[in-house]
Amino acid sequence: MLSQLAEDTRNPRGDVMKLRILLADDHEIVRRGLCALLQKHEGWEVVGEATDGREAVEKAKQLKPDVVILDVGMPNLNGLDATRQLLQYDPNFKVIVLTITDSDQVIREALDAGARGFVLKSDAARDLVSAVDALQHKRMFFTPRVNDLVLAGFLDKGHVMSKSEPPSLPTLTAREREITQLLAEGKSSKEVASLLNLSTKTVETHRSNIMRKLSFHSIRDLVVYAIKNNIIQIEMPPQIKTPPTGSPAA
Amino acid sequence: MTIRILLVDDHPIVRQGLRTLLEGRPGWEVIGEASDGLEAVDKVNQLNPDVMVLDITMPRMNGLEACRVLRQKAPELEILFVTQHDSPQMMREALDAGARGYVVKSNAARDLLEAVETVSQHRVFTALHRRDSVNSC
Repeated sequence: MLSQLAEDTRNPRGDVMKLRILLADDHEIVRRGLCALLQKHEGWEVVGEATDGREAVEKAKQLKPDVVILDVGMPNLNGLDATRQLLQYDPNFKVIVLTITDSDQVIREALDAGARGFVLKSDAARDLVSAVDALQHKRMFFTPRVNDLVLAGFLDKGHVMSKSEPPSLPTLTAREREITQLLAEGKSSKEVASLLNLSTKTVETHRSNIMRKLSFHSIRDLVVYAIKNNIIQIEMPPQIKTPPTGSPAA
Repeated sequence: MTIRILLVDDHPIVRQGLRTLLEGRPGWEVIGEASDGLEAVDKVNQLNPDVMVLDITMPRMNGLEACRVLRQKAPELEILFVTQHDSPQMMREALDAGARGYVVKSNAARDLLEAVETVSQHRVFTALHRRDSVNSC
């Protein structure tokens, strides 16, 4: 492993260079766990961390890491749209997405976005090192379920991989997706404008366009749409026991 | 002060992050881990920890159910929830189930040490809806 690493990653002076990794997850406790896992590997270095997709894109542009690990469900800009933005900026970025679900739709979007690795968060302790190692050696890494879907799509000219199938978000531009996420997270037009360095009027124009394109009449519709299309992700709580109605006050 | 801690979360990477944080405190010891509520009940019986750090959403038995069971079986155990659910209603439910503390996962790196220390002294610690911060590993 080390000799392979040495062949692959020597700088012009002949020194072995470390593989530089950027890590993005909105939970610091998860980043700490991922860091602890990755730092155990000789020759790998976590050079930066980010708490949302927007910060990840900025840090990736600055730090030019060899591998970017992005959680899908992050605030402000989700990991899938961050992947799209990164690869649009530089197609040579190597991105691994971390996700809580391997639904068909998330898999399809991750592949469409250009991710080269796909790891379930619940399996990260087992699979993430293998995924980074694969990308380091110019391979891809996917969970068995992704492999099955890709193969199925290839064999039947696919349901999953077909280019003729309409994408899940056919009508929204990248900017509109960003704004959809921020509005669905509960931000006002003014807050969105401030985050994206736009005027409030411009955001309101985008907002009207989004609602018109999707034929929505309320923010509630937009929130449901954002959840269904993995623009935002939520974890459902266990059912809370509610007290019986009409009970006498204590 | 020595505190013996049990970690319960279905994601190993979260347990690793919690362990890294807690083991930095001299005298505190992570004596075991569990990945769901049922395993947590077993581990409490075996290991008799002082504090259990417990997730809510887990397979087989969720954290609220485990908390209710353990409140009966291990009254000396202090239970601290570390959860994604940033909701006053869920916090109320957790405290009603017998927990002594409630911390939101997005802020766990900042709040966890103070929370464990507080509940280990049999006092209540709750924290909702605060901003996360970036610290390098």
